[in-house]
Amino acid sequence: MTTIELSNVSRWYGNVVAVNNITMTLGPGVTGLLGPNGAGKTTLLHMMAGFLPPSRGTVTVAGAPAWRNPSVYRILGLVSEREAVHGFLTAWEFVLANAKLHRLPDPEAAARRALSLVEMTEAQDRRIDTYSKGMRQRTRVAAALVHDPQVLVLDEPFNGMDPRQRLQMMDLLHELGAAGRTILFSSHILEEVEQVSGTVQVIVAGRLAASGDYRSIRRLMTHRPHVFSIHSSDDRRLAVALIGQPSVTGVELESTGLTVRAGDYGTFTRALPKIALAEGIRVRRLLPSDESLESVFSYLVAS
Amino acid sequence: MPRLAPPPYPRRVPLIATQSLTKKYNARVTALDDLTVTVEPGVIGLVGANGAGKSTLIKILLGLLPPTSGQARVFGLDPTVDTAAVRARVGYMPEHDCLPPDLSAAEFVTHLGRISGLPRTAARERASEALRHVGLYEERYRQIGGYSTGMKQRVKLAQALVHDPDLLLLDEPTNGLDPAGRDAMLGLIHRIGTEFGISVVVCSHLLGEVERICDSLVAIDGGRLLRSAQLSAMTTATDVLVVEVSEGMAELARRLADLGIQARQDGRLLLVALESDDTYDRILAAVAELDLPLHRLDQRRHHVAELFRTPAAQGAQVGGSASEAAHVR
Amino acid sequence: MSVDSVIHDIGYQRYTGPRLGRGYAFRSLFLHGLRTAYGLGRPAKAKIFPWSVATIVAAVAVVLTAIRAQTGEQVLSYVQYTEQMGLMAILYVAIVAPELVSRDLRSGVLPLYFTRALSATDYALAKLGALVCAVWLLLGGPQLIMFFGGAFGTDDGAKGVWNEFVDLLAGQVYAGIHAVVFASLALLVASLTGKRAFAAGGIVAAYLMTLPIVGILSVTDSQAARDLAGVVSPAGLVQGVGQWFFDTDAIEVGDYGPVYGVVAVAFVAGCATLLLGRYRKVATR
Repeated sequence: MTTIELSNVSRWYGNVVAVNNITMTLGPGVTGLLGPNGAGKTTLLHMMAGFLPPSRGTVTVAGAPAWRNPSVYRILGLVSEREAVHGFLTAWEFVLANAKLHRLPDPEAAARRALSLVEMTEAQDRRIDTYSKGMRQRTRVAAALVHDPQVLVLDEPFNGMDPRQRLQMMDLLHELGAAGRTILFSSHILEEVEQVSGTVQVIVAGRLAASGDYRSIRRLMTHRPHVFSIHSSDDRRLAVALIGQPSVTGVELESTGLTVRAGDYGTFTRALPKIALAEGIRVRRLLPSDESLESVFSYLVAS
Repeated sequence: MPRLAPPPYPRRVPLIATQSLTKKYNARVTALDDLTVTVEPGVIGLVGANGAGKSTLIKILLGLLPPTSGQARVFGLDPTVDTAAVRARVGYMPEHDCLPPDLSAAEFVTHLGRISGLPRTAARERASEALRHVGLYEERYRQIGGYSTGMKQRVKLAQALVHDPDLLLLDEPTNGLDPAGRDAMLGLIHRIGTEFGISVVVCSHLLGEVERICDSLVAIDGGRLLRSAQLSAMTTATDVLVVEVSEGMAELARRLADLGIQARQDGRLLLVALESDDTYDRILAAVAELDLPLHRLDQRRHHVAELFRTPAAQGAQVGGSASEAAHVR
Repeated sequence: MSVDSVIHDIGYQRYTGPRLGRGYAFRSLFLHGLRTAYGLGRPAKAKIFPWSVATIVAAVAVVLTAIRAQTGEQVLSYVQYTEQMGLMAILYVAIVAPELVSRDLRSGVLPLYFTRALSATDYALAKLGALVCAVWLLLGGPQLIMFFGGAFGTDDGAKGVWNEFVDLLAGQVYAGIHAVVFASLALLVASLTGKRAFAAGGIVAAYLMTLPIVGILSVTDSQAARDLAGVVSPAGLVQGVGQWFFDTDAIEVGDYGPVYGVVAVAFVAGCATLLLGRYRKVATR
């Protein structure tokens, strides 16, 4: 089990504080790193990958510091957002070169395996400058995986990928995470982060706003009533019954259904089935409206 | 949401129509292969793999490239023949960077308005209005070089709107935007498609976005038409119910089994076969009796993403329950 | 008495006014280019270079006029003045041509032009026209100062003014020839790259590149070679045409004046064609 640990890490550039006193631990599995543009995600990822020293605090990977420690690259792979790849190389050559640079005992086998993981085996002998953006991305992921690292750090890995490629990459990350590797990736597409893993670290203006499973984070926001949308056989009667409940703080009736705000999640979710049954109302749809990662994220950024 | 403003052209003419449209760049590269599709006004999602032919299609519709064979029509006009007429009614928002850093947004959009044929005063006024509609206020007098990604995307959208087109072609409009920016841009596009009475074609790799704001979808694969359908037809309900309880899922599954209701566990979710309408009531009763917190109850819907999953992968979907939770809105 | 309350509709309005055609778009781009050439409508930094060059050129004209007013001696005729300022013109196009076209290439704005009622040809010609006019103004404008000085100071009355005017016309034509030849080459070179510094360097190189050949040819034994030496460099080409038309005594062309003329026309046509070809290729990318 390899963990990345940040302890009171700050990073500043003159007067600009990019990362402000962040403490976090990343364990096995996939974690999403989220935040508005300019929040400090890339700086954080670069510190974890040993490209930048923290101005204060420590960044350690598997117990060893990330900065000025080339041996960390034996267990860490990084796919950064903007690096360029030599267009004249083929994917095979590029990944093989990486394998050799890592001094792997069998670079060809490693390169083959890495390329098949990202499903680039067919196109591996074409030059990289003939590739689409998604194929380039996958080549870089293969290069980062060639030495079978325990830790993988990716900055916006889905950028430019089409739907099929995105699904493949999400599956890949999910599998790698399930196999026990520690994976951190940053993304703005929250639906996809939700699908790969519910565990997130949210950065806002350089500070760590929240960590953990986003559903649990939502439950922690007790000052925000949970919003549910309900569609039943008699919305109005149900509305009347619900507003009589102490766990319900608000009810809105629209042509499309009922919107309920519940101040007490636990009580409301237990009470609803009983109330509906007591009133003889059939509930066809009960959906939490602000439980998605998008809602949780927007609440965190707003507060 | 119903469209409030009717399109100012005869309804009989489809927005975009192609007939056996083929484009070969040379003997080996065929970008579009016998593409026949008709697109009606509204908000249309254009999806497809990279290199599938979306950008080639857009270039042909804008009259930048001639087809190798077959035809394309925009508002019934041929872009290779009536190029100026087509371009006067179409606004294009490219995917890549296309803004000069040393002009202000107001100057730039006004300039392009004039290139589109608007007289000087009209260009200035419409530029100002377009910038207001996309949400740029005092920033518009500052140089574009200092803008954030979100502001730059808005300028690109404003220049596409300045000459009052009947059709907008937006290529990856949410590229590079953070979640709040994406939300704002999608809301803006939806408003344009519904309130302004302008049809919008949105090219996107993000199927979630497409499901959210589009009425219909055109999917292209390998230069050929993969699917052209209304979104509502592609996101129909299945006869599977999704049930989620925050605690006691195993208990509930057992109770349902006792009641003779088939239930399958999928991550956090219980998938229940919807045999008849009273399945709903029986599930509710079971949950109530067990005093479990009911978190979700809904019919599972189809997703656009299913188009792109290979049959093998369809059986083993990633974090199935998580994807369910993500798509059920 | 109550005031009627109303909520005004400031939603999206459709445009029902006139839409002017391609000619108007062309003119707009042309004017935009001409303004850019002198830094108008752009931040102050962009005005420094063009106006410095213009000031120098104008200052020379002022000095010449002053000398003529004081001493009655015309140090340089209009045509000679134009020729002497040729170097300034080269400097000017080396910096301004990239401003006109390299910036557009770099920022990626061309698709926004080409998806409007503006073809690649229109774009290229509008930019070329703007640069030609800009250079013409640079070389020809200050000549008006000289003209007014000369016309006021003339002793021959109306006839003197008329002679002065004819000389001015010659100077303007020569300025025009400079403008057309220099602008064509400079714009072509600038259109090849989006980086302004490269373009500027490339333009200067294009002008200097053939000078060694001119040098060699002008010291060979063959009179024909010496007469034709100027043809291979843009500056020499223009000087040769000037010698042919106006007898400036700048270089020797012997009987080959017409050759210079033909080559000049071919050169400009060639540059323009290549320029159009370049943009047609860019438009479909």
